Amino acid sequence: MKTPTRIIPAMIAAAMILAMSVFLPDPATTAPETAKPLGPVEKIRTSLNPRPEGWAAPDHTAALERARAPREYVAKVRLEDPKLRQIRFKNLGLGVGDIKYSYMVLDSPLVNTFENLYGPARFMHSKHAASLGGDCALCHHASPEGADAGTDRLSETVACRSCHQESFNPDHPERIGLKAAYHQQCMGCHETMNRGPVDCVGCHAKRVPDHKELVKLPADPSPIEVTKECLRCHQQAGEDMIKSAHWLWKGPSPFTVEREKKVMSGKATDTMNNFCISLPSNWPRCTSCHAGYGWKDETFDFRDMTRVDCLVCHDTTDSYHKAPPAAGMPAPEVDLKFVAENVGKTNRNTCGNCHFQGGGGDAVKHADMCAVLRYPERNCDVHMGGYDFTCTDCHKAVNHKIRGRSTSLPVAEGSRTCEDCHTNRPHYGNGVLDFHLNKHTDAVACNTCHSPVYSKCKATKTWWDWSEAGDKARKPVKDKFGMEDYNWMKGGFEWKESKKPVYTWYNGYMERLLLGDPIRPDADAFWPGENPSAEAKRRMVATNITAPVGSIKDPSSKIFPFKLMDGIQPADAVNNYLLAPHLYPTSPDDATAYWKNLDWQKAFVDGMKAAGLPYSGEYKWVRTNMYWGIKHEVMPKDMALSCVQCHESLTGEKTCDRCHQDRRDMDFKKLTRTGTDFTKMLAQGRDVAELVNATDYIDFKALGYEGDPILKGGRFKKLPLGRVEP
Amino acid sequence: MSIPRRQFLKTAGFGIAAMAAGPAHAWESKAPDDPLGCLVDVTRCIGCRKCELACNQVNKLPEPETPFEDMRVLDAKRRPTAGAYTVVNRYYPGALDERGQLSPTFVKIQCMHCQDPACVSACVTGALSKKENGTVHYDASRCIGCRYCMVACPFEIPAYDFHDPLTPQVRKCTFCLERLEDGKMPGCASICPTEAITFGRRSVLMRLARERIEGDPARYENHVYGEHEAGGTSWLYIAGQPLAKLGFPAVPDEPLPRRSETIQHALFSYLWSPAALFATLALTMKTLSGSKKDKE
Ligand code: SF4
Ligand code: SF4
Ligand code: SF4
Repeated sequence: MKTPTRIIPAMIAAAMILAMSVFLPDPATTAPETAKPLGPVEKIRTSLNPRPEGWAAPDHTAALERARAPREYVAKVRLEDPKLRQIRFKNLGLGVGDIKYSYMVLDSPLVNTFENLYGPARFMHSKHAASLGGDCALCHHASPEGADAGTDRLSETVACRSCHQESFNPDHPERIGLKAAYHQQCMGCHETMNRGPVDCVGCHAKRVPDHKELVKLPADPSPIEVTKECLRCHQQAGEDMIKSAHWLWKGPSPFTVEREKKVMSGKATDTMNNFCISLPSNWPRCTSCHAGYGWKDETFDFRDMTRVDCLVCHDTTDSYHKAPPAAGMPAPEVDLKFVAENVGKTNRNTCGNCHFQGGGGDAVKHADMCAVLRYPERNCDVHMGGYDFTCTDCHKAVNHKIRGRSTSLPVAEGSRTCEDCHTNRPHYGNGVLDFHLNKHTDAVACNTCHSPVYSKCKATKTWWDWSEAGDKARKPVKDKFGMEDYNWMKGGFEWKESKKPVYTWYNGYMERLLLGDPIRPDADAFWPGENPSAEAKRRMVATNITAPVGSIKDPSSKIFPFKLMDGIQPADAVNNYLLAPHLYPTSPDDATAYWKNLDWQKAFVDGMKAAGLPYSGEYKWVRTNMYWGIKHEVMPKDMALSCVQCHESLTGEKTCDRCHQDRRDMDFKKLTRTGTDFTKMLAQGRDVAELVNATDYIDFKALGYEGDPILKGGRFKKLPLGRVEP
Repeated sequence: MSIPRRQFLKTAGFGIAAMAAGPAHAWESKAPDDPLGCLVDVTRCIGCRKCELACNQVNKLPEPETPFEDMRVLDAKRRPTAGAYTVVNRYYPGALDERGQLSPTFVKIQCMHCQDPACVSACVTGALSKKENGTVHYDASRCIGCRYCMVACPFEIPAYDFHDPLTPQVRKCTFCLERLEDGKMPGCASICPTEAITFGRRSVLMRLARERIEGDPARYENHVYGEHEAGGTSWLYIAGQPLAKLGFPAVPDEPLPRRSETIQHALFSYLWSPAALFATLALTMKTLSGSKKDKE
């Protein structure tokens, strides 16, 4: 196996260039929208994050090659009564375990009979077989003449394209072609079962037509001219976009408890975090990730569609980028006409340009997203690295509303879970291990096992102490990951890489502290000028800005992995709510921004004014926590947690006889150790020394169990499994 | 020629034609023997409108007002136009799905490429012609814009391009003639994701249609529309409901040109040749006017 997280040097360079371009703005930068330099700027058309040479998503590439390989035509088939065929196959023991290729791409020169309007469908073969109870005969409805599964197991379940090839073959007029075979089979079944997509884009990505001839723009157009040109044909898209969360930065918060009916929550209004705290008064810096042009203060007109930034999401050239402190305006060197003529579907770069950079730099905020995902290795993220997924393959958009819910933000435009594709019985193999693993899925979220460490590809920030900010003389020290522990504008930091998550019960809902909400009554605090030790700070009672909702007693809750973001930030000493400081200087003569003047009082006065909340004039430092769900960077199955990693009780077992009378002739030890081996990751240079040989990985007692459920009983089934030790 | 067609000639060969014309002047079908055609299986159509898109591209038709993915156009019934040679309509003939909802039926319509086309017969300049391969072909250079074809077509297919008054054009499905001549399939049949359109020889299509109906009588109405309608058409339809419920006109089984041409022939053959007719008329006039003069 290759190293899971080896970063190709070119990618490091690319990531660094990007990080530098967006990280730490110069406090004295000019005001937004006046940033256009005098005289012409040399336009750049090259990709900012070029695909590393030789990068390919191995599983997807292999599937494509298989799909395009020609098959010998089966001219004569033997038909059979479907029911009898089903039983015959069952008697032969044909089932999911026989599947050679669990992932297929339904692509072939045979299906592109007229024009290639849509991309090929990805087909989860094993998943379909498993959800049909392993009934191969349902789809494999006829056998090639002479084939006999009794002697050659797979000879009767041949690929669709063995029999279905060209349409309207005069020799076999009633034999439909491959395209129709796929559509009739898939759609027919989806319709009858009332499950699965029946629309084109449910399975296929629509190819975007070449816009070179369609886009009519003068040389060097303004960003707003570009948007107007887009709207000429895509008026509806504009109307949809200005109602979307990516534009409004606020919206309904259906998954925030006690706020389910709230429709105005979001970054734009009332959410906060323990990174750069909050948006009001810091617009131009923060809104350089807004899908719009010129949100530089509270006067921004959200009804003006011509200010939508279409290109930031639809650029396929990877040359588009925003100038960080320019309120969302593109950098002057971007060749807007060129980008507009090359628009297309979103991709990992377009989404990642903002989402990988949360918190002001690569991997800072999210523990499961970073620039490595532009072209990741399979081990880093099996979906993107193995199967070449783009973000919108899962986070599908309808009317420019993008599915998915976040732990850090309340706005949700639909949700997305692993189970949507993988079902709630996702271990398809039909083996002993699959059977037992599938029993876990009601209590254990997929990523608890399948993403056992977070930020394994790039260190993320886990501690941010604002109380230390302001010391220009203090020299930052680099940690073992090369990350600095201090920045005079922001304070002290801590970074973690390949870190074990915290595990807690989670039912998909979050508790959220919004601007103006009181902090915990028993929260500890210290006063400006005081300087408690690092340990003392970490012992302080913390207020949760976000926390998962769930309980061991709640059947809809599952054990879910989180990155815990910890830190010290300012609170109003009288009003007892968190303060929103004015950090970013919006003009060269900004007299209150902290990053220019290093005066907290002034920063709070102006920040809270923008936030629309009173400031008492007195502040204190409090500790806050945020729970960030680990949802991406899913690792391949051989890197998932093994049984013994959590169940200490199994470490000494040699057979199945703890739970079953039968001792069963199988390599029990091997079975219970199938999964990740942190020694391997350690050898590959990851920071996992303390995880090697760890057991009780998710800490059963902390989750509310009496102990290992095998010994002490589960959360609903109270009987412990197996014998009692004599 | 297939058996059904022979049967048709036997059974439907009575009527005005038989009564009006003697054997020497019998109307003769010019239908090609086994033309190319398409079998539209309405039960397979999912209403995706991809056939409209392909037709648009093959025939280089103008960009539609609403994109082909916009299914709202199905809310209204449409006819083929000068800018769209084929259109898909949605019907709710009454069948319910498992959830008790009315289930839609989608029907693609275009020129039927009649075996003995009324449009060809009505065309005074020969701009329309039935080709041996089955296509009913339109030659714009011969068209004088009289629009008799539009009146004659029992399926209301030909549309008139009003946009260019100098070069008037009658527009209808071309059966993708150029593609056929290149050995390719028609655009719509080629793009259809479900093979709702099967392309092939009419005799083969008739057999397929019969097989499908017999193989699943619960799914299909026992009727191949176009087998006999208007004397037989190159495009054929099978459906789950009577085609009358899906917007298809009740067209007599007799080839339409038989009636009209027979009357013409009868006139020309049995009474007088036009010259004789005019001569007689002229003589009568002269006589009448002469006698008038005499009286003066
Ligand atoms: S359907 Fe109409 S236009 Fe087409 S061949 Fe028949 S008569 Fe002519
Ligand atoms: S045969 Fe050709 S011209 Fe006729 S409807 Fe189909 S695509 Fe259009
Ligand atoms: S392409 Fe086929 S399925 Fe789609 S509307 Fe046309 S005939 Fe129906």
